Amino acid sequence: MEPAIALETRGLTKRFGGLVAVDGVSFSLRSGRVNAIIGPNGAGKTTLFNLVTGELRPDDGEVLAAGVPITGLPPHRIVREGVSRTLQIKSVFGGLTVADNVRAAVMAHQGIRSAFRPAASYRAVGERVDALIDEVGLARHRDRKASALSYGDVALLELALALAAEPKLLLLDEPVCGMGPEETERAVARIRAVASKVDVVIIEHDMEVVFSLASHIVVMASGAILAEGTPDEISRDPRVQEAYLGAPEDDE
Amino acid sequence: MSDVVLALAINGLVWGLIIALIALGLSIIFGLLDIINVAHGDLFMVGTVGGLAVTVATGSFWLALVLVPVLGFVLGLVLERVVIRPTIRQAALTIVTTFGLSMMLQEAVRATYGAQPRRMAPPIEGTVPLFGIDYDVYRIAAALFAALALAGFFLFLQRTKLGTWIRAVRHDPETATALGIPVARICGITFALGTAMAALGGVIAAPITTVEFRTGVDILPFCFMAVVIGGLGNLQGTVAAAVLLAVMEGVVTSVSDPTVARIVSLAVMSGVLLFRPHGLFAGATR
Amino acid sequence: MSGGAAAWIGRGGLALLGAALLAVPFVLPELGYGFWVNIVTEILIWSLLAASVNLLFGYVGLLSFGQALFFGFGMYGATLAVIHWEAGFWTGLLAGTLAATAMAAVAGALAVRLTWHYFAIITVVFSLIFYFAAMSNKTLTGGDDGLSFSAPAVFDMAGVTVTLADPLAQYFSVLGVVAACYAIMGVVVRSPLGLAFAAVRENDRRARLIGIDVYRTRLVAFVLAGALAGVSGALFAFFGRYASASYMVYHVSGEAVVWAIVGGIGTLLGPLFGTALLIVFRELVSTVWENYLFAVGGLTVLVVMFAPLGLAGLWRGALGRLTAPRAAPAEAPADPVAPSADARAVPGGR
Repeated sequence: MEPAIALETRGLTKRFGGLVAVDGVSFSLRSGRVNAIIGPNGAGKTTLFNLVTGELRPDDGEVLAAGVPITGLPPHRIVREGVSRTLQIKSVFGGLTVADNVRAAVMAHQGIRSAFRPAASYRAVGERVDALIDEVGLARHRDRKASALSYGDVALLELALALAAEPKLLLLDEPVCGMGPEETERAVARIRAVASKVDVVIIEHDMEVVFSLASHIVVMASGAILAEGTPDEISRDPRVQEAYLGAPEDDE
Repeated sequence: MSDVVLALAINGLVWGLIIALIALGLSIIFGLLDIINVAHGDLFMVGTVGGLAVTVATGSFWLALVLVPVLGFVLGLVLERVVIRPTIRQAALTIVTTFGLSMMLQEAVRATYGAQPRRMAPPIEGTVPLFGIDYDVYRIAAALFAALALAGFFLFLQRTKLGTWIRAVRHDPETATALGIPVARICGITFALGTAMAALGGVIAAPITTVEFRTGVDILPFCFMAVVIGGLGNLQGTVAAAVLLAVMEGVVTSVSDPTVARIVSLAVMSGVLLFRPHGLFAGATR
Repeated sequence: MSGGAAAWIGRGGLALLGAALLAVPFVLPELGYGFWVNIVTEILIWSLLAASVNLLFGYVGLLSFGQALFFGFGMYGATLAVIHWEAGFWTGLLAGTLAATAMAAVAGALAVRLTWHYFAIITVVFSLIFYFAAMSNKTLTGGDDGLSFSAPAVFDMAGVTVTLADPLAQYFSVLGVVAACYAIMGVVVRSPLGLAFAAVRENDRRARLIGIDVYRTRLVAFVLAGALAGVSGALFAFFGRYASASYMVYHVSGEAVVWAIVGGIGTLLGPLFGTALLIVFRELVSTVWENYLFAVGGLTVLVVMFAPLGLAGLWRGALGRLTAPRAAPAEAPADPVAPSADARAVPGGR
């Protein structure tokens, strides 16, 4: 039997003016393991995520999430197809409390849009909100404004927002970027716990994190796939080493 | 009949060049400080009033033509420092700040100069035959002044160090900071420059319009149309759009109601905003 | 959080406000200030226009400078219904509100494609288009001079007819409608829809990524705000017994923005207090100082500079200090002014 596919792209291409940011990328990431996408800055990783989540429209190619074509759908529809993501620069609703952040996400997922009943009066939603907050370990910050949280806690809140949509596939864009060693450790533990229930694809620069989490790695450079394989294969691949050492550091 | 069309088209050209000058001031302020300056029309109005006042006081329009823009520059420096800079953090509210500023400018002029609309005698009398019609000499001179000022401004941007700095900050403030360009001071100078351009437009226009505290209210939408249709931040586009719009309104006015012309321009502007946000003249580049 | 005490003070204040508003037409004439009953009525009506600005800016993060368009549609909807169909107060109110809502649906479908300054510009442009159209179409609108009509019936049943000419009927009709609008707004902003509004205001990208249809959410808010402005316009038409195209000019929109900001955006009743403050100021000062708008402009700038959350922000701050004197400084109230994720970086990074 064919193994289930979490995320598949076929000839995915995105151009910005003369620059080809993502150049005919085709891959097929299996379900049931953590997949990682790595590559030097400017390799097109984040653009690739933006194409998957519908924030950018591809110029060419297709995206399938768990076998379902999602190419060209608007972002909020793609979320409903079971694809959630976090952003490199952690992104939550700063002016709302932690609970309201998660409540907004749960209600969006469940399609609750009433204009007449107080949002806080939905009992089942409230329970789900508390469960999610517990799951990411933010219970003691439940009623604080998100803007008052530490960076690591914001990342956890963002994870809770992504999980609120009950995704089948979770895309994490540099989940430990900007974190200290302690926060990194905590985040990696959370991701590992989450990955036992949901398919996870991460973009990450921290190789230690990548190698400790992922069992399959895709290496991108200049918008295309350079190599693909197990962590072992990747770490021995001379092309990968060259791409990392040879490429000039520039901003993505 | 066609004489009328021609006269209105030429009028449109004259006004278009003056508006281009004012709109350019609006555009550099928008491009550099990310401010919707609703008070810009009132700064033009201050220019017309100042032009008249200086002319009356000194008896020389030509002195006003030089002095008022300089005063406008100083006023711009002061306004930027006192009103704009302390409120620019409330980025979403800059339009509210400048709306308050607009009220203050109008009322200040009304309190000192009065509410009475006045007319100013043109400094050059007489007419010249132009394509078979007799045309006011001053209007031609006004168009020339505006065109000269526009050319001077573009030269300044291209050829001087300050102009280069302004372009650098417009393009990328962070890199400009890193390069040691005094970004805050450039912002102040740009606002002052924009104000001076509005004031200069005011002096040039004073003899061919009514001078009163409300003049800016009419000119503002036109400037915004030029800026938006020309492409936000596209300076040449702004000039082209100002001239094009003014000539178009002139011609449409000759066959129909001026309001219809205005509505058509506004509809074009909405279309550009919604569907070609980089302006009518922008290429496919993004 | 400052907890229960602040909530009780708030509730007490609301009850006090309600009682005061109910007492206005009985108490003020007794004190010899009968004229001020009309001022209070005017404040109530205009505050709905400020509330419509607030609903968009304070709750969804879109600053509209074109609400006068919907005010005008409400005004003309009501007036034309009275003139051509002999409508009473309630039918006219409905006609005005529907006209404004329909216009808002059309304008909004286009306008909410844009955000930031571009949204503000397009709302001004739309209102200008209809302002010029209304000014030139004198047969329909009366242009600058406007159209007038005589006080229609508020109540006409069983042979008893009460018209707006009755001061008490007029005051309480307006108060009732305005109170209902605030009550509806209060319910909406606490609802799941209101939570979606807040999410879009705080971070539209993240809102999209949790599955909110940002475009539709903004459109719903835009239409609601248009309806509020329409109610305001219809009531003002009934109050003045006339409609004029001059109320559709963008200065009216701008004034509403000023009222909302001075009162405090993102709070339900802030716009009411902002409107009250500035209209009372106008009434007291304009007779002795012709250029009182200079002070209004100055106040606007000062509020943006020093108290961007307006009167309501100051009040909350004071309440926070009062009820939690020893605790760490009360957390800042939601700051809808703070640039959210879609806000551009300020050039120069100052």
